[in-house]
Amino acid sequence: MIEIDHVSQVFQTSARQDHLALSDISLTVADGAFVSILGPSGCGKSTLLYIVGGFVQPTSGAAKMKGQTIKGPGPDRGPVFQEFALFPWKSVLGNVMYGLRQQCMKYAEAEAQSRALIEMVGLKGFENFYPKELSGGMKQRVALARTLAYHPEVLLMDEPFGALDAHTRTRLQNDLLNIWERDRKTVLFVTHSVEEAVFLSDKVVMMTRSPGRIRQIVDIDLPRPRRRTELLLDPRYQQYVVAIERMFDDSGEDGLQP
Amino acid sequence: MMRRAAPFLACLGLLVIWQLASLALNSDSFPTALEAIRAIPTILGDKDSLVNFGASLRRMAIGFAVAVAVSMPLGLLMGRSRVVASFFNPLLMVVYPVPKAALMPIIMLWLGVGDLAKTLVIFLGVSLPVIYHSFEGAKAVEEKMLWSGAAMGLSAAQRMVRIVLPAALPEILTGCRTGLVLALITMITSEMIARQSGAGNILFNALDMGQYDTVFAMIIIVGAMGICLDALFERMRARLVRWSEPQFDIPLSFS
Repeated sequence: MIEIDHVSQVFQTSARQDHLALSDISLTVADGAFVSILGPSGCGKSTLLYIVGGFVQPTSGAAKMKGQTIKGPGPDRGPVFQEFALFPWKSVLGNVMYGLRQQCMKYAEAEAQSRALIEMVGLKGFENFYPKELSGGMKQRVALARTLAYHPEVLLMDEPFGALDAHTRTRLQNDLLNIWERDRKTVLFVTHSVEEAVFLSDKVVMMTRSPGRIRQIVDIDLPRPRRRTELLLDPRYQQYVVAIERMFDDSGEDGLQP
Repeated sequence: MMRRAAPFLACLGLLVIWQLASLALNSDSFPTALEAIRAIPTILGDKDSLVNFGASLRRMAIGFAVAVAVSMPLGLLMGRSRVVASFFNPLLMVVYPVPKAALMPIIMLWLGVGDLAKTLVIFLGVSLPVIYHSFEGAKAVEEKMLWSGAAMGLSAAQRMVRIVLPAALPEILTGCRTGLVLALITMITSEMIARQSGAGNILFNALDMGQYDTVFAMIIIVGAMGICLDALFERMRARLVRWSEPQFDIPLSFS
């Protein structure tokens, strides 16, 4: 379980002024839940994710994992970034094996597990390719496999499909759901796409901009396993999407798109 | 075929122009290309000059190796730590524009005219480009890449060696390549100022004695040495950072 307890984050702008990015955020994420943080760009949703990751220390308040205050990054929380952040000097296999080798797993065993994961994310045959030779969608598949490899309890996904074209994006959403529905890891998923949030999540945390506050938390009560083609025709799905979009419109925020 | 032959044809063309120009000018201090080339085997066959070349290369190798060993970690640290950068930056800004050979008189005063002084000049010449490029390379390393490493449990020191170093390697090797050429330049210059041994010593002694064919032959030899060292280094570099080479930049269309 992740508890975010009255977290605020203040940044110094280049003009040396304090900018309140996150204001008094409290949120609990249950084990095995798929929770999306949805909001306009600049609402601090990624910062919130980085705080849970331990990459950024909150100005006040604390994030806790299993009751322990998060003080830094650790293999129990695996990040997947929009920028992929693959190691370009390592092959696909080398990237996926990296975390396992860091945990001192024997080479042969790490290789076997990594090859299985690479196959699972649909990249069989590309094991020896370098990141530079891959398309954006393939890179993000590698990044996902690299993070899944060391078995984090929580996946922290920072607009992972934000840099991909619409077609690739849908394919990766489907694949992510398939993978997730198998082992039900806790996922914290940052996005600015309402459809993406509703399609994937159990819970959508809506945020407002400047300062970033939680506006509302919407439970998405849609059956699983979810199929995109079925869901798009499901009136309940459509109602969630429309209701959430309306709420953002009413708040006077200038939409969700960046 | 043509592409491989092109550099050799260019060299040949240069020699032809040289030959014709020297025949036209007909000056004692400008031997023909053929005369200069004929002097090369004599120099390379002479045991004394080989000892000199050996001494030159030894100093160059030591100066270059020590410079890389010191400057690369320093540059990487500067690139990742603001404190280290703000401490060393002013120092480097002062040292940067000074021609390292200009420091030779002072260095000679302190360290004499032997190996140590000359190696130190080479060290200084190589250090700056290596520091600069390591610094730039380390600074450009993506934060998220380091975060990914941190999440896998890499400590700060491990991230430095296992993420910053390889990620910055293409940039570092660019600096080393510049450093290698500078090593050759500072090597010859130092031997020119402190004439005691080395390739520069042969060259300038020949100049004093009016053996112009030897002077020009030495220029060819030193130039060829530079080209060979650079080509060797480039081969090694290309192999080490194959993953970052542009010819690999052909993304496959597959989501």
